[in-house]
Amino acid sequence: MQSNDSFLALSAALTGFSTLDLLGTGMAQEYQRTLDATLPPGIYRELLETWASAGGGEAATDQIMGDPKLGPVARNLIQLWYCGTWSAMPDDWRSAYGTTPLDMSRVVSPEAFQAGLQWAVAGAHAPASGQQGFAAWALPPEGSS
Amino acid sequence: MSDEEWYDVVVVGAGVAGALIAKAVSDAKLTALVLEAGPERATSFDGYQRHVRHFYAAAAKNAESAWPPDPHAPQPDTADIRQGSGYFIQRGPDRYGSSYTRARGGSTLHWLGVSLRMLPEDFGIRTRYGVGRDWPIGYDELEPYYRKAEVAMGVSADVADQRYHGLTFGEGYDYPMRRLPLSYSDTKLAEAIAGLTVDVGAGPVPVTVRSYPAARNSTPRPGYRPIGTIDKRPEGGEVEMFVGERCAGNTSCTPICPIQAKYNAGRTLTQADDTYLRLIPQAVVSHIDIDSESGQVSGLTYLRYDDSGFTIHRVRGGAYVLAAHAVENAKLMLLSGLGGQHVGRNLMDHPALYAWGLAPEPIGAFRGPLSTAGIEELRAGAFRSQHAAFRFDVGNDGWRATTGAPDTTVAAAIRQQGLYGPRLRESLAAALSRQVRLSLAVEQLPDPANQVTIDPSQRDPLGIPRPAISYQIDDYTKAGMAAATQVAQAIFQRAGIADCTDHASGTWFPTVTWGDQVFAYHGMGHFAGTHAMGSGPHDSVVDSYQRSWEHRNLYLVGSGSMPTMGTSNPTLTLAALAIRTAEQLIASMSRG
Repeated sequence: MQSNDSFLALSAALTGFSTLDLLGTGMAQEYQRTLDATLPPGIYRELLETWASAGGGEAATDQIMGDPKLGPVARNLIQLWYCGTWSAMPDDWRSAYGTTPLDMSRVVSPEAFQAGLQWAVAGAHAPASGQQGFAAWALPPEGSS
Repeated sequence: MSDEEWYDVVVVGAGVAGALIAKAVSDAKLTALVLEAGPERATSFDGYQRHVRHFYAAAAKNAESAWPPDPHAPQPDTADIRQGSGYFIQRGPDRYGSSYTRARGGSTLHWLGVSLRMLPEDFGIRTRYGVGRDWPIGYDELEPYYRKAEVAMGVSADVADQRYHGLTFGEGYDYPMRRLPLSYSDTKLAEAIAGLTVDVGAGPVPVTVRSYPAARNSTPRPGYRPIGTIDKRPEGGEVEMFVGERCAGNTSCTPICPIQAKYNAGRTLTQADDTYLRLIPQAVVSHIDIDSESGQVSGLTYLRYDDSGFTIHRVRGGAYVLAAHAVENAKLMLLSGLGGQHVGRNLMDHPALYAWGLAPEPIGAFRGPLSTAGIEELRAGAFRSQHAAFRFDVGNDGWRATTGAPDTTVAAAIRQQGLYGPRLRESLAAALSRQVRLSLAVEQLPDPANQVTIDPSQRDPLGIPRPAISYQIDDYTKAGMAAATQVAQAIFQRAGIADCTDHASGTWFPTVTWGDQVFAYHGMGHFAGTHAMGSGPHDSVVDSYQRSWEHRNLYLVGSGSMPTMGTSNPTLTLAALAIRTAEQLIASMSRG
């Protein structure tokens, strides 16, 4: 469970959403499995260990984002949370650190598309999912004056 | 070859025109057979939900993404248009940008639901403006059938909003349901452009944001019960009541309304009495057989397929209705060596441009039906002697159609701006809710050189030649594109919307050039004109009842019969024409 907590804490730091919000999507375990299965062996573990050993705060986030190996992984993790999609790792990254058969651009699952944080941040909902109700669209969006 | 069966009316195609006619025929207690080339996968609630999940998982969320074709009945695809590959053989010089769906329900499975009437002046633009062609019937003749189509499909609008450009409505009539509420962004845009006038060559015209009629369920007027989700199974439907009887704002009219609050032709078929109506899916008509003495159709040959192959069948009837789609109707006539010199010609569309920008404050993008309002003032006017008319759709879906937002907005923030954490979230919250999109749909005139033909050297998996398309966008339409672009810019400027229109950063579309301007356009799915109606066999394929001049027990129905299209989305008009045809057909059979 240690790695689950680290994964959520890192995800929260990367996305700007709280761990509670992220747990509420119901996607945390699927995304952990996706990272573990899609990245070359050891890299997912290295990501979490680096985050923990750097103290797990803002400085640790900055360090990961600036890291040539882990930065692109973290950017993909952000995209996973926001869009539910995985983007194939860049070619130069693959040459340096390896690849797996699963490392291809794709919608991770129907549920991942529905749960994308991008819809929540827009004050909206995924298309064909999370309907807001008749005439809700006539109301001002959340947070507008 | 199996035994021949006989029906009062044999209908080819289970889209909106075929469904309306088959239902009317069966209501009159005449027997109808509908042969549908594509699959029948969405009759039950469960079957339909599988399409919703297919859409969730699709990499490209285009119009067909919820409706994969059966390989035996291939269909054009938006992605193919970019590749220049796929079902259509594109002969150019310009790329035809539209697609359609071969399945029970047809393209109404993923249409937007816009149900505008054509304008009275649209029926006579040759006489009035010296361009295009005149229809053999006028608005007054079609008006009662527009009303019937609006009831049959369930259209929401208020007549009070729709009396413009000479549109009239029957005495005491109003739409079956009240208009859908305007979106918050529609209201903000309307306020922001209040008092704006534009001039596209015929004097200043005030521009307003107006609710348009849509075949999406809203608050019913007395005496009307909306129809939502259908659930047809051998043991009877099991869906709880009321699902889809109101639009719930799923922001997914295209490609799939998950609760079927938007009309699709499957609904009409489900309402028909099975005693009189039979539908055979996966049945591709391959030939129209003609009696050489009478010139009448003597039967249809069709191929019924499944995963193991196909069998050949023949069916006969009292009358035959081709309702397979503008392209498929023409293809079938050409395959059978029928129709004379006009079949396949005058193919049209509404080539459309996008304009997109950022509003000065959050307007609630990505909520509600994909759009709820339009700008209709430039659909009519004396400028039509010089250039095309046009209308705008005001989007509620941010830059989804134009750039692939929100995914692309997220990707740019992460990868180009290097944002993460709270700054990423704040930046996206500020950007996404302000995204504005206008669709500028431009009229296209009939041109005999714009044509569907068949290519016997290129066949589909059943061995049927694929359609080839020759297509060019002329100066009349390009000048309309230029005028539409100016109007969009004037609207953005007045509303304080930062214009972000940049086709290089947007979704890919074909382009045409006009002077020093380049227009990136897309198809609206508004195929029309391939078997146009007219005053006689010298100028047309069918009469105003969509009855073939050459073969009097054959009808070719759908938007292919429209000699011009004006600026209205063609579905309501083709539905009205289908209902008029059904009345005439049933009356002729009762007399006979």
